[in-house]
Amino acid sequence: MPMKIAKFTFALLTILFLVAPLIAILPLAFTSSVILTYPIPSWSLRWFEELFFADAWRRAIINSLIIGAGTTLLATVLGTAASLGLRNRLFFFRGSMRTLFLLPMVVPAVVLGVGMQVLLARFGLINSYAGVIIAHTVVAVPFVVVSVTGALAGIDERVELAAQSLGAPPVTVFRRVTLPLAMPGVLSGAVLAFATSLDEVVLTLFVAGPNQRTLARQMFSSIRENISPAIAAAAFLFIAATILIGLAVVLSRSMLAKRTRPAAS
Amino acid sequence: MNGPSPRMGRSLLLLAPLFLFLIGFFVWPLFSMMSQAVSDPAVLRLLPRTADVVGEWDRQSPPSMPMQTALMDDLKAVDDDQALGDMVRRLNSARSGFRTLMSKTTSALSDAANPPPDLVSIDKRWEKPEFWIAIADALSPLTDRNLLAAVDLGRNAAGAIEHLPADQSVNRVILVRTFWIAALVTFFCACIGFPYAIIAASLSGWKRDLMLAAVLLPLWTSLLVRTAAWFILLQEQGLINDFLRAIGLIDAPLALIFNRTGVIIAMTHVLLPFMVLPIYSVLITIPKNLMPAAASLGAPPMRAFLRVLLPLSLRGVASGGLLVFISAIGYYITPALIGGPGDQMISSIIAFYATGSANWGMAGALGMVLLVATLLLYSVYARLSSDEPGRR
Amino acid sequence: MAEFIKFDRITKFYGPLCVVENLDLSIAKGEFVSLLGPSGSGKTTLLMMLAGFEQATSGKILLDGAAINDVPTHKRDMGVVFQSYALFPHMTVGENIAFPLQMRGIDKAETAARVKQALDMVQLSALADRRPSQLSGGQQQRVALARALVFEPRVVLMDEPLGALDKQLREQMQLDIRDLHRRLGLTIVFVTHDQSEALTMSDRVAVFNKGKIEQIGTPREVYDEPATRFVAEFIGETNLVEGVVEAIDGREATVRLPNGAHIVSAVSAGVAAGQPVYLSIRPERIDLAEARGEARNVLETEVTDSVYQGDHLRVQLQNDAHPLIAKLGRRSREFAPGTKVFAAFSAGDCRVIAP
Repeated sequence: MPMKIAKFTFALLTILFLVAPLIAILPLAFTSSVILTYPIPSWSLRWFEELFFADAWRRAIINSLIIGAGTTLLATVLGTAASLGLRNRLFFFRGSMRTLFLLPMVVPAVVLGVGMQVLLARFGLINSYAGVIIAHTVVAVPFVVVSVTGALAGIDERVELAAQSLGAPPVTVFRRVTLPLAMPGVLSGAVLAFATSLDEVVLTLFVAGPNQRTLARQMFSSIRENISPAIAAAAFLFIAATILIGLAVVLSRSMLAKRTRPAAS
Repeated sequence: MNGPSPRMGRSLLLLAPLFLFLIGFFVWPLFSMMSQAVSDPAVLRLLPRTADVVGEWDRQSPPSMPMQTALMDDLKAVDDDQALGDMVRRLNSARSGFRTLMSKTTSALSDAANPPPDLVSIDKRWEKPEFWIAIADALSPLTDRNLLAAVDLGRNAAGAIEHLPADQSVNRVILVRTFWIAALVTFFCACIGFPYAIIAASLSGWKRDLMLAAVLLPLWTSLLVRTAAWFILLQEQGLINDFLRAIGLIDAPLALIFNRTGVIIAMTHVLLPFMVLPIYSVLITIPKNLMPAAASLGAPPMRAFLRVLLPLSLRGVASGGLLVFISAIGYYITPALIGGPGDQMISSIIAFYATGSANWGMAGALGMVLLVATLLLYSVYARLSSDEPGRR
Repeated sequence: MAEFIKFDRITKFYGPLCVVENLDLSIAKGEFVSLLGPSGSGKTTLLMMLAGFEQATSGKILLDGAAINDVPTHKRDMGVVFQSYALFPHMTVGENIAFPLQMRGIDKAETAARVKQALDMVQLSALADRRPSQLSGGQQQRVALARALVFEPRVVLMDEPLGALDKQLREQMQLDIRDLHRRLGLTIVFVTHDQSEALTMSDRVAVFNKGKIEQIGTPREVYDEPATRFVAEFIGETNLVEGVVEAIDGREATVRLPNGAHIVSAVSAGVAAGQPVYLSIRPERIDLAEARGEARNVLETEVTDSVYQGDHLRVQLQNDAHPLIAKLGRRSREFAPGTKVFAAFSAGDCRVIAP
C-alpha cells in the first residue's frame, strides 16, 4: 500500500510538472495588466487585440501562415514521393537514403542555420520567403517521411496485388488503392510539417530578413527584449492549435488503424 | 537483380526530388559550413598574382624576379588596410620580423616618385627563402587554425600545436559547460522518466492514456510556448516564488531565472518526453508475466526489479538518454531565453560568431565540433534502436 | 484424504464482475488436480490466487493448514509454469534455472549441481548456455518446467503450459509431466481448457463453469458419470435426449422418451419420479445391429449419414424423436444411408442428468 501511494504521488507530481506550466500561462492571455504576473488585476482581451492588430504581430502571423503553407506543401510532396520510392525493398541504398531523409531531425539547428545562411546568401535566397520555406522544409520533411512510411508499411501488399489481378493498371492501383490507404499518414505528415514550420525559430533567425519575421521569431525576440502578455495570448493560440492538431492526428491514426486492420471474421 | 526494371526506375524517380533537395539544401550547407571552418582565403585574395608564380618556386633558391614583381604589384593594389593588417599579423606569427619588413616595403612602394626596381633593393631580407616560404604557406586556402582554436589550441611560431593562453581559452570552458549541462539534464530526465515510464507501462486503460497524454501534450506544444511558460513561472514574481512564499518556505524570492537552475529545469521539462517514450516503448514489449514469474521463483520485489526489469529495460534507458543528450548539446532557444551569460551553450556561441561578429571560420569550426559529436552519438543511438537483440 | 491445499469459500470480484463464487476445493499432497473449463470460467483466476498474484475478495486459502492469503508470492514456495513460459529473455537457460536457487541463497557449487540435475531431468543438458529465444517452443517449455521444479517447491502450478505446442509434442509432454509427477511425488495443480489433456494427466479433474466447480472427480467419474448437462457436454461428445422419469429403482431409473419408448438408465441421488430430465448416452457406447438384440435399451432408428474417420466410423441416426450419433469401432461394417438399424446400449452406459 505505501508503495502504491508513493507511485501515485510520483506520477501525479510528474504530470503536474509536465502540464502545469502550459496551464499556468493560459489565464495570463486575458490579463489587463502590462506585466506577465499573477494575480491578474482584471480580465481583458486587449492582448489578443494587440496580437491581431499591432503591426509587428499581425505581420508575423501572416508570415507564419504563408511560410507554413509553403513548407507543408513542399515537404508533403517531396516526403510522400520519397516514402513511396522507399517502399521498393530491392533498392540498394534504401537504408542510407532513409538515414539521409531523417538526419535533418538530428543535426543541431544552429549548425544547419550557419550553413544555410552561407549557402542561401550565395544563391541570393537569403531574406526571401523562398529561402525560409526551403529551410523549414529541410527540417519538416523527416516528419512527413516517418509518418508516410509508417502508413505505407501498414498497407497489406496483397491488397494491391489483388487490385492488379482484378485488372487495374499500376497508376490506377496507386490512385484507387495505395493513396487512399496512405492518406491518413500523408495528412498527419502534413500537419506535423506545418507544426514544425510554425515552431521553427533557429533557422528563421539565420535565413529570414525583417520581412519574413514569423510568429515564433517574433515571440522569441519579444521574450528576449520586451516581454508582454501578448506572448501569453500567442501561447494561448498555440496551445489551442496544438490540442486541435493533436486531436486531428489521433483521429487520423485511429482512422488508419481501422482501415488497415484486416476485416474481422 | 538483372538490369533496371521499370519498378526500380519508378522508385528512383520518386526518391530523386527529395534526395536532390536534401543534397542541395542540407548536405551542401553543412559542407559549406565546414569548409568555412578550414578555409582561409584572406591572403590568397590579397596576393593573387604572387600565388600564380609562387606555385612554381622550389622553396630553396632565392626568389626569382617574376616573384618579386608579382608581390610588388599585389601590394600596390591592396586598398583594404584592415585585410593587409590581418595578413601581416598572420605572416608575422609564422616568421617574426615580417611586421617591420612589410611596413618598410609598403612605405617604399607607396613612394610613387621613386619606384624601387625590385624587393631586394628595399630590404635584403627579401632574398631569404624563409620569408617567401611563410608567404607561400599563407597562400594555401586550407587552415586548421579555426579547428584548433575551437578547442583552445593554436600553432606557435615553430608550427607546433600548443594550448592558447588562458585569456583566449573560452571555447573549452563552453564545450565543457555544454556537455555538463546536457549530462545533468539527461540525469534528471532519467531519474524522472524511468519510474514514470514504469508506472505508465504497469497501468492500463484511461490511467495509462492520461499519463501518456501528459507526456505528449508538452511534446506537441511549441517550444517557445513552453519556454515562455517557464519564463513566467520562474521569474521573481513568478508562480513558483509566490507559492514558496505563500507556504512560508522562503522569505525573499529565489533566483530561478537567468541562471543554471532555470536552464536545467526548463530543459528537463522540454526533453523529458524524449526520455519517457523510448523507455515506455521498450517496457511494453517486455512480457507481463516475467515479474510474476520472478516472484513465484522466490525473488522479492526489489531483487526482481534489479534482476529482471532493469536489465530488460536498459536499452530503452540508453536510447532515451542518448536522445536527450543529443538534443541537449545542440540547444539554443532555452539557454538563450532562460539562462544567464554564464549558461550559454555551444550553440549560442556559434550563433554569436555567425551573426554577431561575422567570424564564419570560428562559427564553422565550432559547428563542426558540435556536428561531429552529434552524429557520433546518433550513430550509437541508431545502432541501439535498430539492434533487435536476441530477446523476446 | 489429507487436505494439503484448501480453498475455503473463495470469492473473487473484478470490479462488479464475479469470476469465482464461494468456491471450496481441497487438494491432497502428491495429487495431480486439473482445473478444467472454458475461458472465463475462473480456473486461471483460482490458480493466480493460489500463486499469490491475485488477492481473493473473500475466503481463505490454506496451505498445509496455514492461511496464506497474506503471504507474498516470493515467500509461497510454489513453482509456476506459465502459459507463455515467462522465461527471462536476457538470461541463458542455465541462468534461468539457477535464478530460484540464487534467490534462496544457495551456494554456487550446489546451485551448479542442481541446475545440471534439472537440465538432465528435462534432457536439455546440451543447451545450458543458449538464450531462450534460440530454443524451440517445446524446449522452452521444458526449461520452464525445470525452472519451476529445481527449487523443490511445495506445490507446482501450471497455467495451460502446453497450449502453444503442436499436437504431437503436446501429447509427449503430457506423458512426460505425468511421469515426473509420479517419480517425484509432486503436488500439481494444472489449469487447462483441453478436456483430453485433463483426462490423460490428472488424478482428479475439477470442471469449472461460470466461477463455480460443476463437478470434481476422477477422470473416469467425470466422463462416465457426468453430474450436470454442462459436464456431459464439455467433456467428450454425448447424445442428450430429453425424457421424463417414470420410476426409480435403486441406482436405476426408467425414463420415458417423448415418442413413448422407455430407457433404463443409471441414476444418482437427487432425481425423483415425474421429473423431466436429460439422458446422456456416449456415442461410442452405442451398438448398431439390424436385428433387435438382447440389450436392455434398444431404439429403432434409421441411418442418415455415415462418415469414415480413420480410427472410428461415425454414424448419424434419426429415430422419430431424436437424432443420435454413434461411434463404431473401425472393424464395424459400413451402413448405407436409409438403412433401418437398432441402436442398443446397456443401462450402465447411459446417465440421467437433472436439467
